[in-house]
Amino acid sequence: MAGERHSASCYLDERTFRLCCQLFLQHSVTIQDGWSWEEIKGADEGFMRKTVLIPVRSDASHHEDVCSVRTENTDSLTEELQADVEDEAAGLQAVCQRYEYHVVYSSSYQIPVLYFRVSTLDGRSVSLEDVWSNVHPNYRQRLRQEPWDTLTQQVVLGTAHFIKGGARSEKTTVVDNLIYTLVVLLLNLHEHVYCSQRLNYIVTWLSVVGPVVGLDVPLSYSTAVSAPD
Amino acid sequence: MADDKDVLRDVWFGRIPACFTLSPEEITEREAEPYYLLLPRVSYLTLVTDKVKKHFLKVMKTEDVEEIWFEYEGSPLKWHYPTGVLFDLHASNTALPWNITVHFKNFPEHELLHCASNSVIEAHFMSCIKEADALKHKSQVINDMQKKDHKQLWMGLQNDKFDQFWAMNRKLMEYPTEEGGFRYIPFRIYQTMSERPFIQKLFRPVSPEGNPLTLGDLLKELFPAAICVEDEPKRYQVIIHGIEPLLETPIQWLSEHLSHPDNFLHISVIPAPSD
Repeated sequence: MAGERHSASCYLDERTFRLCCQLFLQHSVTIQDGWSWEEIKGADEGFMRKTVLIPVRSDASHHEDVCSVRTENTDSLTEELQADVEDEAAGLQAVCQRYEYHVVYSSSYQIPVLYFRVSTLDGRSVSLEDVWSNVHPNYRQRLRQEPWDTLTQQVVLGTAHFIKGGARSEKTTVVDNLIYTLVVLLLNLHEHVYCSQRLNYIVTWLSVVGPVVGLDVPLSYSTAVSAPD
Repeated sequence: MADDKDVLRDVWFGRIPACFTLSPEEITEREAEPYYLLLPRVSYLTLVTDKVKKHFLKVMKTEDVEEIWFEYEGSPLKWHYPTGVLFDLHASNTALPWNITVHFKNFPEHELLHCASNSVIEAHFMSCIKEADALKHKSQVINDMQKKDHKQLWMGLQNDKFDQFWAMNRKLMEYPTEEGGFRYIPFRIYQTMSERPFIQKLFRPVSPEGNPLTLGDLLKELFPAAICVEDEPKRYQVIIHGIEPLLETPIQWLSEHLSHPDNFLHISVIPAPSD
């Protein structure tokens, strides 16, 4: 695997995955970004995990209205209007969902895979429709061509996660697995990024796929984290 | 290879007699009779239990019915594992029929995947096939197939049509003669008492010297405890489709003939019964 260097087959081997993750995690600790490494007992395998609480948007535009009212009218807000804004904000903050992200190495595809699971604070899985409504509008259009309605097992832990689905054809109801979408995405990434060997694969990859599913990857990772030797 | 084709048929038509009983926790309007069914080893629980569901829904009020799930002796059964694997793993050495408990509430969110419809099963099935081909052929064969070919694989499984399925699946079982086998063997080793759901690693069917590797070679590398040393009593049984293949069996042959329709060789390792 390490020997194949021409662009089409420039894959990520497991050792490099681990090294990239360790470097990523060092920076995560520095900026308190909440990622941790989970080792599987009885195997020399592991993955990165992060859990985030994300407030549920009841309506994206409504949220933006509240924000714009705050910034524009701070100086001239009457007490009443200010109270309304605070109530709205409190209402929005009160409803949270738990997003759990796992960065796992797939030996079958020799790429990392991002799994995520969304649940309510009392542990119930959130339906796909509800997850969909929380996706930032900027990504929705792209995702409309790539809906996720495949529910598949997290390969290492065995808990339920969403895997983003691939393109849905109008003629069939078969939904291609996300891994194919990711593989295409990552193979493209490979040719331009990994083979240069100057960048940390995990940082670059996660910066691209993470935001699509609500995961924020601060810019400082790109400058602070080096590639493994 | 007339014998080998028979093996393919035997694997496809393997059945497990099961008895479905409603959980005593469910609220019923009257007592529900158990429901008996022959489960195809190579299919998935939620794909083949429509009649079971209908049978029990007759004695229940709609408001008491949520998503159906199955359990055996306290363990929720993962529908996304082939039925035969679940049986080999949980109930191999117990008396038939396999007694499965049916539930309609308290879905165990952290242990089971939801199965809202057959398209979820289809998506899961196809994703396994694609992953298997990534291992065997770097995805070249599956990617050369058209959507209708993929559909044929699924419909073959769903409708229990051996010929329809294998007309397409045989392409996924080919390999360049000079290679001696697939690039890597798609397999998963399951254990009941384990932190992880299964063991899956890259494994070539042919040694660097060109010798075909066996089931024993695979286990030696990935589950050495399963190989019993001469004088010691056997600690584990290694089961594929309800049988214990000889450890000398070439892994390439096993992959071609004893894989499930999802193209994976599912291997269950269970404690040997203590007589």
